[in-house]
Amino acid sequence: MAHLMKNLKVPPNSTSREEARKRTFDFFRLACRSIPNIMEIYNLDDVVTPSQLRSTVASEIRKNAHVTNPKVIDMLLFKAMEELKNFVDHAKQRHHVIGQYVVGRKGLVQDLGPKDEGISNFLKNFYSSNYS
Amino acid sequence: MTVLQACEIAGVDIPRFCYHSRLSIAGNCRMCLVEVEKSPKPVASCAMPALPGMKIKTDTPLAKKAREGVMEFLLMNHPLDCPICDQGGECDLQDQSMAFGSDRGRFTETKRSVVDKNLGPLVKTVMTRCIQCTRCVRFATEIAGVQDLGMLGRGSGEEIGTYVERLMTSELSGNVIDICPVGALTSKPFAFKARNWELKGTESIDVTDAVGSNIRIDSRGPEVMRILPRLNEDINEEWISDKTRFFYDGLKRQRLNDPMIRGPDGRFKAVSWRDALAVVAEVIHQVKPSEIVGVAGKLSDAESMMALKDFLNKMGSNNVWCEGNGPSPNADIRSGYIMNTSISGLEKADVFLLVGTQPRVEAAMVNARIRKTVRAAQAKVGYVGPATDLNYDHEHLGTGPQTLKEIADGRHPFSSTLINAKNPCIIVGAGVFERNDKDAIFSVVETIAESAKAVRPDWNGLNVLLLNAAQAAALDLGLVPESGNSIESSKFIYLMGADDVNLEKIPEDAFVVYQGHHGDRGVYRANIILPSSAFSEKEGTYVNTEGCAQTTVPAVPTVGDARDDWKIIRALSEVAGACLPYDSLTAIRSRMRTVAPNLLNTDERQPAIFSYSLKPESRQEMSTVPFGTAVENFYMTDSITRASKVMAQCSASLSKK
Repeated sequence: MAHLMKNLKVPPNSTSREEARKRTFDFFRLACRSIPNIMEIYNLDDVVTPSQLRSTVASEIRKNAHVTNPKVIDMLLFKAMEELKNFVDHAKQRHHVIGQYVVGRKGLVQDLGPKDEGISNFLKNFYSSNYS
Repeated sequence: MTVLQACEIAGVDIPRFCYHSRLSIAGNCRMCLVEVEKSPKPVASCAMPALPGMKIKTDTPLAKKAREGVMEFLLMNHPLDCPICDQGGECDLQDQSMAFGSDRGRFTETKRSVVDKNLGPLVKTVMTRCIQCTRCVRFATEIAGVQDLGMLGRGSGEEIGTYVERLMTSELSGNVIDICPVGALTSKPFAFKARNWELKGTESIDVTDAVGSNIRIDSRGPEVMRILPRLNEDINEEWISDKTRFFYDGLKRQRLNDPMIRGPDGRFKAVSWRDALAVVAEVIHQVKPSEIVGVAGKLSDAESMMALKDFLNKMGSNNVWCEGNGPSPNADIRSGYIMNTSISGLEKADVFLLVGTQPRVEAAMVNARIRKTVRAAQAKVGYVGPATDLNYDHEHLGTGPQTLKEIADGRHPFSSTLINAKNPCIIVGAGVFERNDKDAIFSVVETIAESAKAVRPDWNGLNVLLLNAAQAAALDLGLVPESGNSIESSKFIYLMGADDVNLEKIPEDAFVVYQGHHGDRGVYRANIILPSSAFSEKEGTYVNTEGCAQTTVPAVPTVGDARDDWKIIRALSEVAGACLPYDSLTAIRSRMRTVAPNLLNTDERQPAIFSYSLKPESRQEMSTVPFGTAVENFYMTDSITRASKVMAQCSASLSKK
């Protein structure tokens, strides 16, 4: 999808939040359009569905929902575009995709959220494995 | 004593093929030839009685030459297929030809070949490999008690077989695989699966019946490859039943590997342990304590039953029991539910009275002991129950409790046999536990025992033969339900591997938790599944029917996301806010010590201290309903054996219609 990637370049800074917002949506659409390609490159059909990847992208963007500075948004968009380009160019490997965007959503990342506070070591071990 | 046995005591091992210490002496392989002074020829040491003053030489040139000659004759007609033989690596012929054989053969003709026999789904035969030691023939007639195998022909035409085309219908047939010194009889399910040196052996306990046979689980990686017997003179000697030996493929099928919740559409959906336990904990708080019921399955270990009872007691319910123990089990007097004579003690009995039990299908190893006694001491056997096929001479006295009444009153001819017996032995089947008039039956049996003087300080001949591995430990731990019909009024049912409870009796709106390792009957009704580990994957204490506590040892890792039974209950108790005070195996065992200290004395039989005489008299009316059969199909009794393909083949081709 080289023709898609020709569009990837550093744009000039956004002048307003409105423009940054528009660019964010543009990026999201671009990412969504390249998902079928990524699925094919990394052979992801048996581990994830396109819609799951779309919501992963959406939630990655929503992580930064609190950012208001257009400059910061531009920077984040640039990093996101870089990441997307790496995936589309096959600069990454299958385990990167799976580790960061499929399993990593909950599996590999230990979320010791508030619901694990106050439980005994036994229960923590119990949830992680039978042998501990 | 024979020369061979004398040499064994003296610490000299004589090579042998046909001799086996538990079988009669055949003396036909001639491998055990030794030189005896003043004897013109070498003698077969297995058949020669040892006499005082005899001088035996086992390592002389004459003895060595004799062995080499015998080996040459044996190998003459033995195929050179060791690389594809399943016995390879544990073959007596292979070992002994390395040790005693010649380094070259002089045989140039073609080898003899023999047609393979079909002995059923368990034993694979390659009859060309047979060296005619006749161990299998002697085993079948003497120990298994079936006249199926025999020797046909003479000289080089000699072969082992079933006389006519038929299968070997014995529940002990698998043992011929072990006693066969070559690869003529091998395990069919294990054929070409693994080599014995790749396997890791784990010494464990069998849980498919209440005998608790000692077994070795051979595993390769995460897979159980085969099960072999382990020597224990007090329990299974060196035999195991076919069910014990071949049910292991059930451990790989129908397994539950993730916690699952049944959705509104009736389908199960895999969830995390966190969510599953949270749901159970929420539901258990929504019902009244009296509506909570717990049932332990027939394969449960003592640790998990202790945890289940403690947890449900903490939740305010006392309706917890183990399946197979009936609606009102007697857990107070231990002599009322164990085999007081002990399994090895059965050999001292001279008259047996079997009440409502078919030991051949309920506990094949106990049946082998009874048969041994009947053969060795001409013990008489009286049997009360539905018509059955026992593999020894017995007198069918009747089918129902009224026969017992006649014996107790002395009106029956068998009662004089019992009274004249030196060591009478009465065995009551655990199927009686399910009857409503069980107390009445036990009191009649006790009357018979009293008149026959079956319970004396030096002899206790009043026995109960249990059906399941969990039963004795459950009664030791006091898993007794508060009311006999609590299941009908329950709202929350915790099935810990229980598949044979009356699932139809569970109310429609009840919430059923199934904790277990196999997707069996219990799962069909379950609302939530908590996967647990099977006996081959955990350390657990089991008490057998004679009251001997033994522990299983984990041989393979657990499947999927399963957890050990007691851990699940411990975790659930914490999520439900009624935390159990133990979180390790040692801690739960010290809790068990306060309830039933005998469970901690493993590998040692703990006899019951108080006899039935302390029991309050029962005023129950005895019904006239005849005794039923407790085990319909020997090969399929629990969730693991029901999942096994080999057991399904066996019950299709071998069980008697």
